[in-house]
Amino acid sequence: MSQIALTIALPFLAAFLLPVIGRVYEALARVLGPLVLLYCLWLVLQLWGTGDGHPVALAMGGFRPPMGITLYVDRLALLFTLLVSLMTLLLWPWQRAADSRECALTLLLAGSASGLALSGDLFNIYVFYELVSVASFGLVAVHRSGAAFVATLRYLVISGFGTVLALTGIALVYSQTGTLNLAQLAQLAPDLLAGPVGLAGFLFMLLGFGVKGELFPVNTWVPEVYATAPARASALLAGLVSKLSLLVVLRLLVLLYQQEQALQLLLLLGVLGVISGELAAWRARDLKRMLAFSSIGQLGAMFIAFSIPGNAGLLAGLALALHHLLVKPALFLLAAGWPGAVERLRGLARGGPLAAGLFVLLALSLIGVPPLPGFWAKMLLVVGLAGQESGYLLALAVVLGAAVLEASYLFRVVAQLYHRDEEAARPRPYLLDLGSAALAGAVLLSAVPFISPLGDWLAGTAAQAGDREGYIITVFPAAGRPLYSAAGGGKPALAAAGPLPEPKP
Amino acid sequence: MTALDNLLLLALLTVLLLLAGRRLSSLGWYLTILFGAQFAGLLMMGALGYGAPPVPSSLHIGVMGQVMQWRFDALSWLFALITVGAGLTSSWYLAGDWGRHYRQRGGNLWLLQLALAVNVFSMLLLLASGDLLSLFIGWELVSWSAFLLMALNGADAMRAALRYITYAMAGAMAMMAGLGLVLHTAGSLQYADLAAAVPTLSSPQLWGLILLFGMGFGVKMGLLPLHLWQARAYSETPGPGASFLGAVSTRMGLWGLILVLVQLVGLVPIADLAIPYTFLDARELLMWVAALTIILPTYTALRQNDARMLLAWHGIGQGGYMLLGVLMGDAMGSAGGLMHAFNYATYQAPLFMAVYAVRYRTGTSDLNRLGGLVTRMPLSFLVMLVGIIGLAGLPPMNGFVSKWLIYRGLINDGQPLLFIAAVVGTFGTILSVYKLIHNTFLGQLRLEHVEVREAPWSMTVPMLLLSAVVFVTGYLPGLVLDWVAAAQQAVGLPVLVHTLGGVESPLGSLDMIWVSSLMFAGFGIGALLFYAGGNRSKAVHQLDNYAGGHFLSADVRYQYSDHFYAGLMRHIGPLYRNSFQWLEGALGTTVETLGAAMRAFYRQHHPAIYLLAVTTAGLIWVIL
Repeated sequence: MSQIALTIALPFLAAFLLPVIGRVYEALARVLGPLVLLYCLWLVLQLWGTGDGHPVALAMGGFRPPMGITLYVDRLALLFTLLVSLMTLLLWPWQRAADSRECALTLLLAGSASGLALSGDLFNIYVFYELVSVASFGLVAVHRSGAAFVATLRYLVISGFGTVLALTGIALVYSQTGTLNLAQLAQLAPDLLAGPVGLAGFLFMLLGFGVKGELFPVNTWVPEVYATAPARASALLAGLVSKLSLLVVLRLLVLLYQQEQALQLLLLLGVLGVISGELAAWRARDLKRMLAFSSIGQLGAMFIAFSIPGNAGLLAGLALALHHLLVKPALFLLAAGWPGAVERLRGLARGGPLAAGLFVLLALSLIGVPPLPGFWAKMLLVVGLAGQESGYLLALAVVLGAAVLEASYLFRVVAQLYHRDEEAARPRPYLLDLGSAALAGAVLLSAVPFISPLGDWLAGTAAQAGDREGYIITVFPAAGRPLYSAAGGGKPALAAAGPLPEPKP
Repeated sequence: MTALDNLLLLALLTVLLLLAGRRLSSLGWYLTILFGAQFAGLLMMGALGYGAPPVPSSLHIGVMGQVMQWRFDALSWLFALITVGAGLTSSWYLAGDWGRHYRQRGGNLWLLQLALAVNVFSMLLLLASGDLLSLFIGWELVSWSAFLLMALNGADAMRAALRYITYAMAGAMAMMAGLGLVLHTAGSLQYADLAAAVPTLSSPQLWGLILLFGMGFGVKMGLLPLHLWQARAYSETPGPGASFLGAVSTRMGLWGLILVLVQLVGLVPIADLAIPYTFLDARELLMWVAALTIILPTYTALRQNDARMLLAWHGIGQGGYMLLGVLMGDAMGSAGGLMHAFNYATYQAPLFMAVYAVRYRTGTSDLNRLGGLVTRMPLSFLVMLVGIIGLAGLPPMNGFVSKWLIYRGLINDGQPLLFIAAVVGTFGTILSVYKLIHNTFLGQLRLEHVEVREAPWSMTVPMLLLSAVVFVTGYLPGLVLDWVAAAQQAVGLPVLVHTLGGVESPLGSLDMIWVSSLMFAGFGIGALLFYAGGNRSKAVHQLDNYAGGHFLSADVRYQYSDHFYAGLMRHIGPLYRNSFQWLEGALGTTVETLGAAMRAFYRQHHPAIYLLAVTTAGLIWVIL
């Protein structure tokens, strides 16, 4: 199980070596990144196959928790590690594979994203989150246009602000508890973090880590960045990175802040995100910005889901997140071939029927039309919200109203694509983009017959992720027994991993 | 394999064949034959399981802890009959010359046929749903396949279809919230569990249920104030699609309302919900919504100058009669409402077909650019005549029977105001259908239409067939009342005692065989007098006219068509306020403005200062 640390280490190593190798063997540099990611993918799949689904805690460097670096591998973390390798591989910048800087940044993103998914303590989460930020700054500015630089600068400012907030929040938590290990925090939280200082810590961490998760109001960087960044970078940010930020929020909520006020705060920000994002998307006049704004709205719905007490909310949020992770990147890839105002997309369906058809399919799923997977995710959210009290019912109304707006603006685009009166020949999506989007569409369709088992599996994952006691017991097994991995059948989990290029807390 | 499995499989097969057979030359005829097979399957199912327990499907799907299942009861069967019948005649209509013409003018005929097949399949799936989850899925499929059919015909159609889908989504989302409510209160989405949980619901919950499902189904039905999308969307749909949608699509909303409000919730708990500070209860509120849905759209239809729009607006108004009848909940009124759904389909479809036949030959359905076509297209005239008599609810056509039942029910129920509302609606219907037939077929023939011929047989045969149904079921309403009574029984309403000719009951009797025979005897005597007393008529050419002692040459326009009911409009014209249009516009503007404000929020220049403010506010919230 300890090889999982390689999914963090190897991309980092490759990222740092890539510029050097690129000077010597250019051909090797081109394939190094994809090869590393493929290996990571294979590794995770193998671990997936051998593991029995129970969570495992790994102590890096041989120090027992709460000292040292703890990695926590449950089904959710493993799933996210898998998705990180898979998505970065699919969204690899093939078009500019010769630019070793961009490849290195993508690898850096992959490594730090894996680290973020696996980390078992707050400080490491913070560090990996910063690394993700650094990598994404470079990726979104890669076009080097004025607009891209302006957008990135704004992103930088807001991210920097978020960093300060997150660090302040972590400091507050540390001042209250004296530890940053999540499991230990989970033990101490009911006593020490219930007061206003603890809650202030949550507020700061939520706003800080919410920047990547497009949480209202720290999301004002989103539309411009997605509109100017390369499609693959937008797809990575909107699809993958935002979900990792969600994962952090999920861990915080489950382990540290099972209190009503924290949930209310999240609910409020989620509702505001849905309202502001969807309304702005309704008004947006070009496709990329429309998708960016709608992304804000959909992430708002996920925050709303997480604010529902109990596992029903986690399940709904995870289902929405996974669905969004599949659909939104594909939509960004399609939009890459259709720049400019929505009115200029007239009649494009004639030139590219596959792309237009895919857009319709993805839009339908995003709106939540049965029997596509998006419907089931939305249904989970509705079911979760309907059983709650007044504030949640308001959120239900907002979410459902947002779906009406979504249908309205997405099908305004469809109406332009299938406009019959004019014939237009315009750039079609790059073939690789189209292929990736088609893959997403195929996955979406093939998931339809398996909704029931998928839902059961996801419910199990959500239950595991929501099991606070389980987390504590996994990291701190009953006193007296050595820390063994639950999966390895007696194999010590304290296996020292290779040297990690990460700072120690 | 049950009879329902066979039917659904056949409908699915039809869709698949359409998908695969894009290149087949006479695809339209295959489609018609397949619809015919579905129709036969439906009739056989009726013969097998009539009045018996519901026909189940062997398909069960368990998902999210819910079991989805499908079944057909007599109510589903009645609406399925309308659906497949409308699909059959519409595809017949387009199989021959109309389809060729459509393709020549750049239309995608294959897509139109596919959309028809998909619509019929999804409607059958909806009607077969055996729990609220499969109901919702079927509902969404029906909504989106209707969107496909509406959006086919170019930019205007697409605009109308977009408006429709916004309304439809609003309805669907209301229904989704309703599902959440049901799941929360009843613990499952099974019909039986909901029905069992109704007595335990608090009155806000019951109100929520009624309003959410009422809105969901009401959008499709075009209940006020959710009706604005319908007329434009239907009239922009290509010909046979319009006749299909007009005949049956809207009825899915009625079916849903009957299922949820009448069968599952029951009219008694709804009637027990009093509205504070008024003397209305929830049932009467719905009845008044239905009554307004009769009156306002019917008088909007009166002002239309496009024959398609006129018919489409009537479609909304006639839906009001059906709902009004069903909500009465007695044997007579509810039978009238259910029967009206059938009757209405049998004359609305041929009326649209006749209008499209005229359009096919003359290129227009503008009521100010037609006239005098009766000698040129006599069969289409006959079809329209039969259709408008039915639509107006006059004997001897079937529309009279269902409207009579509704009126009678209202009188028995002691609802004089609603009765007057229904009669006012009928008055408007008569006026506007007269405008329709007068401006199209009567009066002065236009010079450019002198060469116009009757529509080809492939189009007239399905029209005539439906007209025959209108007449026969008007003459022998007992044929339809059998089905209606079975549906009443399935829903749990009191069953109407009926005969082949109509109704015999202490509350009111009607024998259409007598009524019609008397009418025709009267016509016969008149004809006898006319011919026996020396036939003094003399045939002149249609363009050979004079007025005030002057000959009128054919290029002088004397047809009175524009501003048709000028005298009436002088009195009621100021009442047309377009309030709903205004409301819709205001809502759109509000969203637009809010959208602009939100966009401005995301474009602000100093995010850092603003974020600082937000954080401070958050801190204050934490401390307080």
